[in-house]
Amino acid sequence: MSEFVRLLSVLLAGVGTTLLLLAAALGAGFALGVPIGILHVFGPWPARALLRVFDLVLRGFPAIVLLFLFYFGLGSIEGIDLSSLHAAILALGLRSAAYQGQLVRGAIGMVEPGQLEAARALGMSLPRALLQVVLPQALRFALPGLANEFSIVLKDTALAFVVGVVELMSRAKFLAASTRQLTLVYLVVALVYWLLTQAGLLAFLAAERRTSVPGLGTDSRRPR
Amino acid sequence: MSVWLSILPGLADGLTTTLRLIASSVPLGLLLGIVAALLRVYGPRPLRAVAATYQSVFRGVPLVVQLFVLYYALPRWGLLLSPFAAATIGFGLCSGAYHSEYIRSAIRSVPRGQMEAARALGMSHWTAVGSVVLPQALRKAVPGCGNEIVYLVKYSSLAYLVTLVDLAGAGRLQAYASFRFFEVFLVVGFVYLAMVAVVRAALHLLQRCWRRSTAAIGV
Repeated sequence: MSEFVRLLSVLLAGVGTTLLLLAAALGAGFALGVPIGILHVFGPWPARALLRVFDLVLRGFPAIVLLFLFYFGLGSIEGIDLSSLHAAILALGLRSAAYQGQLVRGAIGMVEPGQLEAARALGMSLPRALLQVVLPQALRFALPGLANEFSIVLKDTALAFVVGVVELMSRAKFLAASTRQLTLVYLVVALVYWLLTQAGLLAFLAAERRTSVPGLGTDSRRPR
Repeated sequence: MSVWLSILPGLADGLTTTLRLIASSVPLGLLLGIVAALLRVYGPRPLRAVAATYQSVFRGVPLVVQLFVLYYALPRWGLLLSPFAAATIGFGLCSGAYHSEYIRSAIRSVPRGQMEAARALGMSHWTAVGSVVLPQALRKAVPGCGNEIVYLVKYSSLAYLVTLVDLAGAGRLQAYASFRFFEVFLVVGFVYLAMVAVVRAALHLLQRCWRRSTAAIGV
């Protein structure tokens, strides 16, 4: 039993890094994804064309190839020295930014066009109308998609060990090799990831409920 | 230019392995997805719970962990899988869980009258499900399941973690041998991109064919 507790404590020490990676990648993805989504819809055409290339690569390449590209690829360029954690945050964060950009783009499309027109007619500037009228509605529509994105990024952090980040998965590999308790270790790790996913999804559901506004929701989203 | 082209021949074998993996795990995933969806909608209560647990577990645990359990942990219980079998089963189980969610909601969106009419015409319950409800549901599930197949193409790159030399694995070997990490991984990425483009085009074609055939009978 004490053996099991020791094993668990070694594993759980990796959860911190996993959560750090998750928060950094999701946060960077959101901070970049919102402006990217706006540019997808309202940007000038050169910006939109550039974003399409960005999108093609970051959504079309497998996560593992992106991790390799950012860690080994960028690392092999003279003058660039990235730690494995920073490379993983960059790769997963930019990848998430591309996906979140598409989510925000779709969510902006769900906001009735009349909303923007009315805001502009009231004399709001375009940035102000976007920030105060369109985005607050769009982000509510984007929440279910963002919950999904959360679970995808969480599970993708388990790939960061391939570039040497010492997180939950990498500790599991190490423990499995050193204790020979492969079955136990991997099942415990699976359980930890499953619990983290479920907890996160519940938090997103709660956020959805808390931010819901009467009248704005499934009914107003239905195309007329 | 020749530097880039010289990378491709070394990837050929890996690409073949990746294609074989995709070709075997996509049908497995779809089959599991259909079975799990049918169980969740029409199954008796205990089987419904089993299907729901399957969905939750395989969608909530990272694919790497699933692959490691299949390949490294199962031999302890006397079940030794080849790397290819472990990867195929892992990909199939995981994508089946996602497929089943899309198919389940597609089944629910088929009007209830379809089932009632089929039963009224004397079809047995499962005949009605198999030849009336499911064909319509599968057509509706194409966008979601198609997306999932695209994901599978990209996540097939995890096969190298269970010692299979697939496209990503071949790229990694070549990168280490030549020290041209950036070029090699960029080329590997674009090969995946090309596969995704082909899958998307095929799905588009399938959807158009099906739309035409259903328009003809007015469904």
